[in-house]
Amino acid sequence: MKTITVLSGKGGVGKSSISASLSLLLSEKNKIIVADCDVDASNLALVFGKKEDDFVEWEPISTNRKAVFDLEKCNSCKKCFDSCYFNAIAWENNKPKLKQFSCEGCEVCKMVCPVGAIKMEDVYNAKIGYTKTDYDFNLVSAQLDPGESGSGKLVSAVRRKAKDLSEGLDYLLVDSAAGIGCPVIASVVGSDYCILVAEPTPSSIADVGRALEVVSHFDIKAGLIINKSDINEKYKKELLKFGKEKKLDFLGEIPYDKSFSNALVEMVPVIKFDNKLLKNFQNITSNLFKKIN
Amino acid sequence: MKIIGVTGGKGGTGKSTVATAIAHELSRSSKVLIVDADVDCPNDHLLLGLERKELKKVYQRIPKWDYDKCTQCGRCGHVCVQKAVVSLIGINPIFVPSQCNGCGACVIECPVDAISWDKKIIGTIYSGRKDNIDLLSGELKINEPVSEFIVDSLNEIIEEKKDDYDYVIVDTAAGIHCDVIAALENCDIVFSVTEPTPLGTHDLDLILELLLKLKIDVNIVLNRSDLGDKKIVKKIAKKYNKEIIAEIPYSKKIVSSYATGKRIIHKSISKLIEEYIK
Repeated sequence: MKTITVLSGKGGVGKSSISASLSLLLSEKNKIIVADCDVDASNLALVFGKKEDDFVEWEPISTNRKAVFDLEKCNSCKKCFDSCYFNAIAWENNKPKLKQFSCEGCEVCKMVCPVGAIKMEDVYNAKIGYTKTDYDFNLVSAQLDPGESGSGKLVSAVRRKAKDLSEGLDYLLVDSAAGIGCPVIASVVGSDYCILVAEPTPSSIADVGRALEVVSHFDIKAGLIINKSDINEKYKKELLKFGKEKKLDFLGEIPYDKSFSNALVEMVPVIKFDNKLLKNFQNITSNLFKKIN
Repeated sequence: MKIIGVTGGKGGTGKSTVATAIAHELSRSSKVLIVDADVDCPNDHLLLGLERKELKKVYQRIPKWDYDKCTQCGRCGHVCVQKAVVSLIGINPIFVPSQCNGCGACVIECPVDAISWDKKIIGTIYSGRKDNIDLLSGELKINEPVSEFIVDSLNEIIEEKKDDYDYVIVDTAAGIHCDVIAALENCDIVFSVTEPTPLGTHDLDLILELLLKLKIDVNIVLNRSDLGDKKIVKKIAKKYNKEIIAEIPYSKKIVSSYATGKRIIHKSISKLIEEYIK
């Protein structure tokens, strides 16, 4: 099975909309599975019209361990407070108090505590599950509780879950988060091919460049899709030039169209909502096939 | 002095557009600092059309091994939760600096004190100025995992400089992760920019839940208010006892201003400033 990962650096350039329509076309001749790896704000299922209740299962999952203090045992030596590199411990009434959103689970506080007053506990701060889409393939998704850390680990868990469900499948399509931090790195690593989505704006050009650096670091082949390709001619040329210079496969372009947002509101992939963009997506899919095989 | 946060959950809803528009409007009569805390992909300098200058590098501590002292016991790798140290009994530890978050477990646990501290560059803070607006812009080095440290460094500079300004505007990254929390921590008021699609409202729901947990006051700004279904946003707003305080309709002019780096003027921004910031 080959893993294809969609990323963009900048958010809101159309990653999820494009992933959804692309997966429909990919699934016409192949067996596929789709993974939503934007675990901070997972909403690819909504593009397919699937809400939380439509999932086959949700299971709680732990992505992190956090310190728990036994305040009776604590001798108020403050060593834990002094040694936490993440400032995750507050000092109140001469005792430690965990700032739960800041704890990285490194266990340093436990190591330095001279009286054994600190233990680590798994925190079940996320859930992972999958749903059957209306198009004969499954979608794996996860959601981290707001503010919790461990999104990189959760991304890896989503990809593992997708692998577990992928016996006999040809492709895993991964929709990554915005940015280039930990969850995006976890989405990209081990992929066979990356699709960079950009729009012709200065912000998107700058950000897709940064996204590409992550991809190149792992030595993964990549292609470029230009979304909203007609909103600015000058920056479109700049994107094409960027693609050429960086030796990206040019997979195709999609003009700006209101049906993109209307399809989101109706919760169907854009090519099912309005077939005028179908040709663009077919073209992209056929280019993609040529490049990955 | 007031610190104003602009966030949104979903990417591409118009956070930077709104943040820079507020900065422009406020700068006409006040001293304004805009802080680009989307350190994975900072863009405010592009929207403001200014050249950034490097202000400082951001460092993170990393361990360093004295192999003469090292007994190859394997302990350092065993305690590394980040899996940045691979150490097997009988060989020198292998260290992957980009994985390391500087927690210090290996240094503490080494039985022969063979590990001391070194540092690595994890990002850069830039500054810039245009049209009476000062900019601070943080940028994470590629392949570094901890965006939050760059935001922490921005926060330190805000703390030092905030009294030179009437308003500090903090523009966050997408998502609801630790880097966003760090950026919003010290804000007096937060605007959450969303769009009337199920994706926008799904993520709005999450960020409102987060801000409620953090006890930070938030108001909703609806961008591209005429593209989609406003009712679904109102429903989420109601759940948190909030109202949509400004609506910016979709306009080709805004899109092309954005695409070319021109400033965006809209009456809803002036109104928002009058009623909620001043």
